[in-house]
Parts: sequence; C-alpha cells; structure tokens
Amino acid sequence: MTPLVLDGPVLPLIALIWPLVLGLAAALPAIRTHAITLLPLAPLPALLLALVAMTGAGSGAETVVGFVLLGVVLGQPPLGMLLLGMTAFLWLAAGVYAVAYMRSARRPAVFTGFWCLTLAGNLGVFLAQDIITFYVAFAAVSLAAYVLVVEAASKEALRAGRIYLTLAVLGEACLLAGFTIGAAAADTLRIEDMRAALPQAPLGGLAGWLLLAGFGLKAGLVPLHIWLPLAHPVAPTPASAVLSGAIVKAGVIGLILFLPPGTGLAGVLVTAGLFGAFAAALYGLSQANPKAILAYSTISQMGLVMALIGAALTAGSGMEQAGFYAFHHGLAKAALFLSVGVVAGAAGGRRVAALGLAALAALSVAGAPLSGGALVKAAGKPVLAGGAGATAEMLMTISGITTTLLLGWFLIRLSREATPEGKHSAGRSDWRLWAPVLALSLGAVLLPWGLWSDWSGGLGPDYPWRGTTLLAAAWPVATGLAAGLLANWRGLVMPRLPTGDLAPMLERAVLTTIRQAERADTARRSLAQKTVTSPLPRSLGNQTGQLVARLEAALGQWRWSGLAALVLILVLAGFM
Amino acid sequence: MTAALPVLILFSSLIASLVTFFLPQTAHGTRNALNLGCALLKLGMVAFMLGEVAQGTIYEMRLPLAPGLDLLLRIDALSLLFVTLSAFLWLLTTIYAIAYFGTKPELSRFFGFFSLCVAATTGLAMAGNLISFFIFYELLTLSTWPLVIHKQDRASLAAGRSYLTFSLPGSAALLVAILWLESATGPIEFALPADLRAHGDASLRMIFALFIAGLGVKAALVPLHGWLPAAMAAPAPVSALLHAVAVVKAGAFGIVRVIYDVFGIALVEELRVGIVLAALAAVTIIWGSLRALQQTEVKKRLAFSTVSQVAYIVLGAALAGPFAVIGGLVHLVHQGLMKITLFFCAGVYQECADISEIRQLDGIGARMPLTSLCFSLGALGMIGIPPMAGFVSKFYLGVGGVQSGAAWVVAVLVASSLLNSAYFLPLLYRIWFRPVPVEGGSSGPRATPPGILWPPVITAAAALAVGLFAASAFSPLAWATLIVEREYLP
Repeated sequence: MTPLVLDGPVLPLIALIWPLVLGLAAALPAIRTHAITLLPLAPLPALLLALVAMTGAGSGAETVVGFVLLGVVLGQPPLGMLLLGMTAFLWLAAGVYAVAYMRSARRPAVFTGFWCLTLAGNLGVFLAQDIITFYVAFAAVSLAAYVLVVEAASKEALRAGRIYLTLAVLGEACLLAGFTIGAAAADTLRIEDMRAALPQAPLGGLAGWLLLAGFGLKAGLVPLHIWLPLAHPVAPTPASAVLSGAIVKAGVIGLILFLPPGTGLAGVLVTAGLFGAFAAALYGLSQANPKAILAYSTISQMGLVMALIGAALTAGSGMEQAGFYAFHHGLAKAALFLSVGVVAGAAGGRRVAALGLAALAALSVAGAPLSGGALVKAAGKPVLAGGAGATAEMLMTISGITTTLLLGWFLIRLSREATPEGKHSAGRSDWRLWAPVLALSLGAVLLPWGLWSDWSGGLGPDYPWRGTTLLAAAWPVATGLAAGLLANWRGLVMPRLPTGDLAPMLERAVLTTIRQAERADTARRSLAQKTVTSPLPRSLGNQTGQLVARLEAALGQWRWSGLAALVLILVLAGFM
Repeated sequence: MTAALPVLILFSSLIASLVTFFLPQTAHGTRNALNLGCALLKLGMVAFMLGEVAQGTIYEMRLPLAPGLDLLLRIDALSLLFVTLSAFLWLLTTIYAIAYFGTKPELSRFFGFFSLCVAATTGLAMAGNLISFFIFYELLTLSTWPLVIHKQDRASLAAGRSYLTFSLPGSAALLVAILWLESATGPIEFALPADLRAHGDASLRMIFALFIAGLGVKAALVPLHGWLPAAMAAPAPVSALLHAVAVVKAGAFGIVRVIYDVFGIALVEELRVGIVLAALAAVTIIWGSLRALQQTEVKKRLAFSTVSQVAYIVLGAALAGPFAVIGGLVHLVHQGLMKITLFFCAGVYQECADISEIRQLDGIGARMPLTSLCFSLGALGMIGIPPMAGFVSKFYLGVGGVQSGAAWVVAVLVASSLLNSAYFLPLLYRIWFRPVPVEGGSSGPRATPPGILWPPVITAAAALAVGLFAASAFSPLAWATLIVEREYLP
C-alpha cells in the first residue's frame, strides 16, 4: 500500500477521469438528448498527453494515486504512448463521425455513457503500470463495449452481443486466474515484476497460457476470434471503427506487457498468428457484407501483429516494431470502417472520392510502396526474421497478396452498396463524416514516415527508398491486384460462408445443451407434480441437472440433512 | 465512561427491543423514532470506537454469571469489523423496514424482535469467550424465528419450522463442542489462546467437526444450508438482514473465531482440518452457484447465491495464509453490502411492480432506473467485476490460495465467477435490454417510496466505494489488513 495520496503528473489521471465525467454528465436531463455531441471531447486530454509524451517532455514519470483501487500507478512508457496517441486520435475521429452519424440514436445518453466508459478503459490499458489498474481498465473496455455492439437492438446485434459477452467474460476469468497466480509469485502488483516472476513461478506456465487466452481473445487470435466477425459489423459504424481499430489493441498491449519471455508461448503466437493472417484473409473473401470483410481483415492483420510479438519475445527485442505495426493498422482500419458509412450515403463524384479514400487506406494496409503500411512492414520484417526465421518473414511478405485480394474484394462490395444507407443517413455531405475518414487515411499513410526514425529499429532514413524495400513492397500488391483482376474477369467468386465461421456451430451446440437442460427441468417439475409425461431423451447434462435437484430436495428434508450433518462430522473428524 | 462502551452498544439495541415490545401497534411515530434514534446512537458510538481501536485500544467488560462462568464483552479489531457492518446496515434496514411495512399489523412485535436480533448479532461479535458467544448465538436463533414467520402464512410457518429444525441441532452440536473442549481446559477466552493439548488429536478433530457442524448451519455450508432458501418466505427487510449481517454472517464469523482464537492456526494446520474445511467451502461455493442457476424466482436465486458467497469467508479463514484471511474477512463486509443491496432491490421490485419471478424483470430498467442500477451494481460486484467490491475479495482469496499452496482455489474462484455471471447476467439482460412485455391493463410500477428507494442506493454506492477506494486508509480492506497484521501475524 502506498502512503502517498497523489504523486507525479496529473495529466494521465485527467486523461482517464475526463471521459468518465463526460459519460456521467450524459445522464443529466439537460444534456441527455444531445449527449452524442460530447463524444469528440472525451479523448482530448489523452491526445494531449500522448503528444506531450511523444515529444519527450515528462516521459518516464509515474503517477501514483495511493488510495484508489489497490494503489493506482500510471506510467508513460514510449510504446504505450504511441498506442495511446493512436487510440485517442481514433476515438476523436470516430467521435466526430458519430455526432453526425448517430443523430437518431435510440438512447443517446446510454450510448454516450458507455462510449465514454469504453474509451476510458481503452486508454487505461496503455497507462496502467500495476495489475489491478490494468485489470479494471481491461474489464471496462471489454464489457462496456457490449452496449456499443448491441446499440441497434436488432436480432443479429443481440445475438452477436451474446456471443461477444460470453467470450469476454470467459476472457476476464482467464485473466483473473492468470493475474492471481502472477501476483502471488511476484509479491508485488507491478506488471513488470509479475512478468519477470512468472517463468520461475509454480503454475507460471499455466498462468502464461491463461494470459495468452485472455488477451488473445480480445486481439482476435485464431481460433479465439469467432466473436469478432459477428460483433464488429453489427455495431453502428463509428463503434465498429473503434472496436476494430482501437479496442482490439487492448489485447495487443496485454500480450506485449504480460507474456513472459522464454516460454513456448512465443512459438504459439507466431504459428497461430501467421495461420490466422492467411486463414482469415481467405475466409473473408466468402463474405458479402463490407464490414464483415473488414472484420476478417482485422483478424488477419492482428495475426501479423501477434506473430511479431511472438518473434520479439523470442528475440528479446522488437516489441516497438509490433506496436508500430498495430499503430498503423488502427488508423487504417478505422478509416476503412468509417468510409463504409460515407460511401453508402454518397452518390456521383462524392462516392468516387470516398471510394478513393477507402482505396488509399486499403493500399496502405496491403503495404503498397511508400505507404505507411509499407514502412511498418519493412520495420517488422527483420524482427520476424530474427525471432521466427526467414520463412516467417517470407510469409509476412506473401500475406500482402491475400490482404490485397481481401481489401480489393471489400472495395468491390463497397462500391456495390446501395444508396442511401438507412435511417442514420441524414447529412450525407456533412464534414463531420468526411473529415474523420480523410484524417485517418492520411494519418495511416503519412504518420509512419514521421515516426520512422524512432520506431523502425534503427533501419536508417534511406531504408524505405531502397530498391529492395520498394520491390518487396510492390510485388505482393501487384500480384494480388493481378490475381484479383483475373478472378474478376473469369467471374470467380468464393462461395458465401457463414459470418463468424466456427461461431454458429459452437452456438448450436451450446443452445442444444441448454434446451436439453431446460427440458430436463420441465420433466423434473412435472414428475414432482406426479403427472404422467412421455419419456424424454436423456443426456448426460440433464441427468446431472436432475441429480443436483434431487439431492437438494433430499437435503431440504431434515432427516436426510441430519444424516448428512452426522456424516459430515464424522468425515471432518475421521478422514484427517 | 468509554470503558462502558461495549455494554452501551449492546444496550442501544436491547433497550430499543424491550421498549418496542410494549408499544402499542398504533404508536408508529414513537416506535420509528425510538428505533431510528437507537440505530443512530449506536452508529455514533461505533464510529467513535473505530478511531480508538485503530489506535490500539481494546475494550473489555466482564460480568460474572456463575462461579467460573463470565459474560465477557471484548472489542478488538475483528469484533469491530462485524459490529460496524451490523450497526451501519441496521440503520439502513430500519429505514427500509419502516417504509416497507407502513402501517401493516404486528409491527411492535416485528421491530422488537428485529432489534433483539441485532442486539444478539452485536453481542456475538463482541463475545470474548466461548460461553458468551454461545449465549448470543442462541439468542440470535430464537429472535430470528419470529421474523421469519412474520407473515404467519403457510409458507412462512413452514420456513420457520425448517429454520428451527436445522438450527436447534446445530446449537446442540455447538454446545457439545464447547463443553467437551472446556471439560479439559477450563473456560476459553478468545484473547488468551488456551493449550488444547489436554485433548488427544482424535478428540480435537471431533470437537472441531462439531464446531463446524454447529456453526455451519448458520453459515449455510452445504449440506446444512436447506433452511436458508426456504426462509425466503420472510418479508424483504428480514431477508436483507438475514443474508447480509445477522444469521449467515454469525456462522461465518464464528468459524473465523474458532479457527483463529480457539484452536489457533498452528493447531488447525497440525490437525490438517483446515484443508478439509476449505474443500467443504469450495463444494459449497460451487453447489450454491449451480443451484442458483436453476432457480426461477429472484429471491430464491439470491438466496442460493448467498450460500455460495458466504462460503468465500469460510474458505479464506480455512486457507490460513495472510492474503486469504484478508480476502475472507473483507468479504464479510463486501458480501454484506452487495447482498443487502440486491435484497433491498428485490423487495422494491416485489412491492412496487409485483415482480417475484425472474421472467417478470423484462424491461424494468427503463421503468425503475435507480433501483435497477443498484441491482446491477450489486450483481456485477458479486460476479467480481472491478471496481466493485467483489473483485477485491476474489483477488485476495486467489492470491492467498496460491500462496498457501492450494492453487485449486483459483480454479474454484474462476468457476464461481463464471457461474455467477451465468446466473446474474441474464437478469441484467432482462432488466436493461428486453422490451417491456405488452400486457393489457398493467399500469406500470407504482411510485417507489423514498424510504425503500434510498437505502439500496446508499449500500450500492458503498459497495462501489469500498472497491474503488480499497487502498484508502478507511476501507474495509485496510481494516481487514490491520486485523491480520495485529492479531494473526507474529
């Protein structure tokens, strides 16, 4: 326990509290109906913090709030600040977009409140230096986002929300178990101490796997990704953008901060990540909804990020480049999601311009030469080569082909979207819809240039201009474009497959089990009423349920309970 | 003057009780003023003592009953944890009960026994030796029965019968345990750990088992928990008190006393009874959650949830590592705040919207937002979602389990959290996301009287605050840490 009440810079604290204050303010009757207009204000202190820290002033200082939670410690590590800045910028852009887009929100105050809570959590994971603060922030970003997912209240949205929440809760449980084991081993609550203590700790290996599962779930690690293609598309467009651009990065920072070095987990991350990078891109080609295609692209790109994290874990350096890659992906993916709403509502020249912006962001994600995406890939490849071998590096290069195909398919589907989009389509030429897409697309393409010298791992200012670099960036995109054109010309399209790939199957299995249990319950009730019922199919599940209920009924009678008490006494006394 | 504080605190409830018995049913104003006044007075005295005890003061008051038999009241940090919780929640429950009952019949009987029940709980918390503990434990058993059967309908009477059938044998077991133990050692005071080695290992284990069986009835350890869900027939304020402070906590508190102040950690470890008790608590945690999942009534689900959650306290005490004990003790307070919130809200739903079944909760969030918000906070806290209070308990218990070499505790906690989510989240989904059912003629919920609206708001806010500010010097966590540092660490 820290005796200090408050120590260190206050800006990190303000960055977290400010969105919460706005979220609460949204509930005030005077503000309630226009609450959405508060959204762009929420990430401003965090953006300021990131800019100040990135320019070097005050970096490294820690903020300690001794009386909150179990002692909150906030820090400003460079990698955290890079992702914090990206996250704040993205939420700002999406917030501006939402002001125009969400005009007819069903419950503006509720949406605003949970938007702000999710934002605070999302910022918190980059600032937290102790396990508990991190856990609280992670829970906030993870669970509060449920309300953003189900905003439409449609049947698909509620279904996606159910799956999202179930897996989010499972993920939280994994993290709680992992953190508990880690904290017991470390004997302090600091994240770096726990990370250092885990490899030698009893059950440290188990804790590592639990953390991998908990964070992997959030980051869309295949096969824990199944909620992602369901949840990201059903949310309102600005919420999709933050989900796919920023919220998945909470999982990324978790993996970066917590996974202990020198375990088999690094190899798992590389393998699963690279597998996901290709599998998700190919599966995405079977989707018709542009937002679902983007969701699969997110899984694919996050696969590459996680492969980079795995390689950096093995090599002992290179996490910065993994973060750099995630930085670019966040901006570009948010631009792509937001462009969906703009394109769908525009016609004629405006529509072409919007598609152009989307294409710009898409090219950057694919890593076209001289784009921001090419830079982050160029920075990442040596890390992958060093930590996971030349094959992994080659696979990352080749993934440019599948990414080009996938995002090309996205652009085709997007251009075929009918106009207008729907009830949210008021104010099509609204600058608040255009400016965020423009800012994010340009940011994705240009910002990595500004960050190159600090985040490329010392590759030198001329590295992006070298012939080999340009060629390595150009050929996958060119190949992808050629393959796409060829497929288009031959009329080849992927068959339509269900969104969420494994999810519908699992969902059916779970629902069947629940129905059986319910049927067993009904059967038990009717038996209890001594009515004759037809014999019901029995499964292990309903038998167990009946057994529990019968045992309980017996324990409710005093003679059985008394007997149980006697047995208990004897067991307690005798067995030991 | 201050030396008499333990007696004054006990009398504040006792006098309220005795006077209330003789007030006529129609004297609503006098009765309410008396009960509220005494509750406030008690809370004031407790607040004063908190400061003193934090400085290291210990209050003691000895009244000889018979030669060699003293009634000993002693206030140390552990007693005060429980006394503070009961004093705070007594005040709120009194406010709630006054608004809940209004001018219904038999209120003098109700409030008389209600105060007596609180007096018994307070006495039990302050008891300084085994025989005093037993006296108040019995007083609690008897004073709770009229509250359980208050409605005097068939369900209540059956619940009351079930309560006594479980409690009286439990009391007998406790008495046998005390007599057996003291037959060889003489009277045992909590502050002066006696040498129990006059007994052999086998006898000590048997005595320990009898203690657990006797106290386990009130703490609702499986398989001795059958009375608790049945007691749901009682009115809402009684359920709230029963589940948060009075009865189940008395059992759990007694188990803590027996482990730490009668047997001592070293002996419990030597006899290897701690790990068996921990296993029993683990079974209770899972069993209670599974049964909660199967309930279709709001209050029944909450009742089985109590079975599960109170076992956390026993688990923490049985594991005996410092973190586990802190987790268990702090859960005594945390569970109390969260569960009383849930029962208060369930009572509001019942009174103002006639909701008793879970399926009737659909869309109630939009119509009763404040109550539903409190209910949600309580439920999220029970699941262990930070920063609500529950996560602090779970984290400490888990860390304590690992440190005591019982890492399976983490698995139990995770399973319990998942089960808690499985039986609470569907309720929240119904409350906030389901549309209001369209039934002809229903005119929506009635206005909620402020007296039953605000107590859950206060307890929910408290449950949030004790988690959010857990590291502050005035949190239950700080107090539990102080207890463990002062009393159980060499």
